[in-house]
Amino acid sequence: MDRSALSYADRVHDRPVGPCRLLTLQMPVDGFVSWRGSFRTHPDLGAHDDLVQRLMVSMLDKGTATHDRFELAAVLEECGAQLSLSSDGLYVDVSGQSLTGDLPTVLDVCADMVQTPSFPESEYPKVQAQTLAGVQRSMQDTAPHASRALMQRLFSVDHPNYSRPFEDELERLQQTMRADVETYHHEHVTPHAFTLVVAGDLEHDAVETAVRGAFDSWEGTAPAPTHATRATACAPGTATVPMADRDNIDVRMGHALTLRRDEDAYLPLYLGNYILGGNFSARLMNTVRDEMGLTYGIRSGLSGISTEYDGSWTIGVTLSTEALQQGLDATRQVVRDFVEGGVTEDELDAKKTTITGSYKVGLATTKRVAQSLLTNAERGFPVSYLDEFPERIQAVTLEEVNDAIQTHFDPGALHTAMAGSVPASVDEAGA
Amino acid sequence: MSTAVSPSPVSVDGFSFVQESGGIQQYELDANGLQVLLYPIDAAPVTSVMITYHVGSRNERTGHTGATHMLEHLMFKGTERFHKEHGTSIFDVLQRVGAEVNASTWTDRTNYYEMLPREHVGMALDIEADRMRNARLAPDDVESERTVILNEFDRGQNDPTRRLFDAVWSAAYVAHPYHHPTIGWRSDIETMQPEDLRHFYDTFYWPNNATLSLIGSVDAAADLEAIAEHFGSISSAPHDIPEVRTREPEQRGQRRVTVNQDGELGALLSSYKVPHGRTDAADAFDVLARILASGKSSRLYRRCTDQELTTNVFAMNFRMRDPSLFSLFAFLTPSSTHEEVEAAIEEEIELIQHEGVTDDEVARAQRQLVAKEAYGRDGPYRIASQLNEAIAVGDWTLYTEYIDRIRAVTPQAVQQVAQEHLHATQNTIGWYVPDA
Repeated sequence: MDRSALSYADRVHDRPVGPCRLLTLQMPVDGFVSWRGSFRTHPDLGAHDDLVQRLMVSMLDKGTATHDRFELAAVLEECGAQLSLSSDGLYVDVSGQSLTGDLPTVLDVCADMVQTPSFPESEYPKVQAQTLAGVQRSMQDTAPHASRALMQRLFSVDHPNYSRPFEDELERLQQTMRADVETYHHEHVTPHAFTLVVAGDLEHDAVETAVRGAFDSWEGTAPAPTHATRATACAPGTATVPMADRDNIDVRMGHALTLRRDEDAYLPLYLGNYILGGNFSARLMNTVRDEMGLTYGIRSGLSGISTEYDGSWTIGVTLSTEALQQGLDATRQVVRDFVEGGVTEDELDAKKTTITGSYKVGLATTKRVAQSLLTNAERGFPVSYLDEFPERIQAVTLEEVNDAIQTHFDPGALHTAMAGSVPASVDEAGA
Repeated sequence: MSTAVSPSPVSVDGFSFVQESGGIQQYELDANGLQVLLYPIDAAPVTSVMITYHVGSRNERTGHTGATHMLEHLMFKGTERFHKEHGTSIFDVLQRVGAEVNASTWTDRTNYYEMLPREHVGMALDIEADRMRNARLAPDDVESERTVILNEFDRGQNDPTRRLFDAVWSAAYVAHPYHHPTIGWRSDIETMQPEDLRHFYDTFYWPNNATLSLIGSVDAAADLEAIAEHFGSISSAPHDIPEVRTREPEQRGQRRVTVNQDGELGALLSSYKVPHGRTDAADAFDVLARILASGKSSRLYRRCTDQELTTNVFAMNFRMRDPSLFSLFAFLTPSSTHEEVEAAIEEEIELIQHEGVTDDEVARAQRQLVAKEAYGRDGPYRIASQLNEAIAVGDWTLYTEYIDRIRAVTPQAVQQVAQEHLHATQNTIGWYVPDA
């Protein structure tokens, strides 16, 4: 029997293992597995815990109660395994790949780093300096400046979708002490909502044994959520970040969305946005790039949407200085026409087959499958949702899509953020 | 769990079986010399269709730099059959069935690929065959795409690291076309004429200058028949495909370049001339790159990053068709200087030249590369990407034989290539110095 033809609900083994919800999936690859996992930490964003969390995560591989940084690295590098820990808003994520036989060893290293880090004093200044340098390097790029400027207009500092100004970030990172990081770990790093997905060439029971061996003793009291759930009510406006020597301008437009990922209107709005800016044959690329030749890339998306807090509708475009005004005007015009006129049955049919086809294509790798299963679990959806997704897309009607567009998208409410060598003559308010 | 399927060669009229290696079968379409690689993998019902043309920026002449890349853009503007005017643009047709579609260019090749559900493989073959010889290359399309590419160029120029990379390659090569960036010089992009692109297309886009690869869900007999149906009527080139005759003259001394641009933190790129990608030396350099800069156990991590000279340092051995560059990238911390970092890198290289590397270092690098190779088989797209680079270097079996080649590398071989090639006389150093 071709096992890949069975549903995910049939093939995924989903069970609690110690403090962990473990999902495993056999996939037809040779001798390796990929994994994705997360646990909730609930940083107090208003108190800049997000930065403390980032430093804390960067310290996890710098030494534990029983191993120094080089010993930890040697275990992974000897077997060519990849293990990554990262700060992700309200979560800490773990991810990696290893040869199947090395999985127990790698999970032991991961558990050691997460549960018993030693936060060596000699390493903290290095981690802090490298984190600061990473921020400084990002400051050279126009894209993060534009994205951050937009998010600052839409959300307050205690909202998960907020992105703080670089200068503020540098200052607060410098002020954070090693003791703050250690205390944060003690108070926030627990197996709260700990989910781990492993996909690849595996035996379900063997993975379960490895996870139990690594994480069985992990415990702790879940921290309470403190983040804002609503976007900031703010009149639309423009933020410009002037940067020298940057003839390509990154532009972001957007407004907040109150829609949640588990609402009925989500899929119709997702389809509607896809018609506007979801891929190469969407309206924005078709008009602003293909017909007018104004940009290398333009897209729109539903960003930061969750089941718990507000997200946003964003449009991103890159424009050379000489095409900036024309590109801004053209983008706004396409968006206005889209919302005023809605979408057609033909467009909807085309994007339905695009989305269901690319869904199938996208789940051809262990990494992407593991990530999809994890994201699905974080949303609180059953595994069967992944099987039902194509049917749910097919069931969306034209009326539902146009209703969702009318209800949730408002061109008049779009904020604009630009970063680069922006000419003084540009009409920021738009044509 | 076995996934690669190695069936016997199939016999299909019009095709000659050439060879098999690592589960990949090579055929040649007798009518026109098109090379075909079939790699069946028992995974998802998805297939990658990729056509690799043996043309890249190494085939471009002065004044026409960027032709490879510009032509790749124009190839998406379509043919008489697949065109926006008829509602059949290439992106529309392929993305409608969920295909992941794109193309890329580099010094030694141009590739177009579609990863799509198995049942639509015929559609991808139809499009690739049609645009092999029937691209419109209309003047209006050239004009609208020119500004798109100029924006792409400007995006690249925003990045100091990209400017540094281009500056070092331009200094390292004075005669060979690796001198110029694949996207081309801005003035050439601004002035490229439709007839220039037509000439480039008519010179290089022929079946006997291309390799067609099908990876993933593959039915050898049925797919070869479909390939014959779509490509069989195309003739081979009516001329010899031009060879690149220029050889880079011997470098006789260290070269230095500096890039100034507004920014925050400096960077350094140190590159050495090394043999082409089909040599055993290239395998030894792959291992050396790991020993120098992969992970916290690596020499440059301990020497530079752990000592707060750099925030990151990595090594890349560019395996290419012609003699290439072994490169070390270092990103400086706010407190370090270019001189300090450059000296630290040179000391580590000299140490390897004088004392060699250990058995443990080589074994660890080999294990890392074996694991990386396994991860690289995670789905048809990743396989296609790696196979594409081997095709570009000039021998696709470099992909299937890679692990055996890496396992054959000895500590002595690593020391030897360091001694033979990592000389100051073969070195080009670039500094990015921010104008803050």
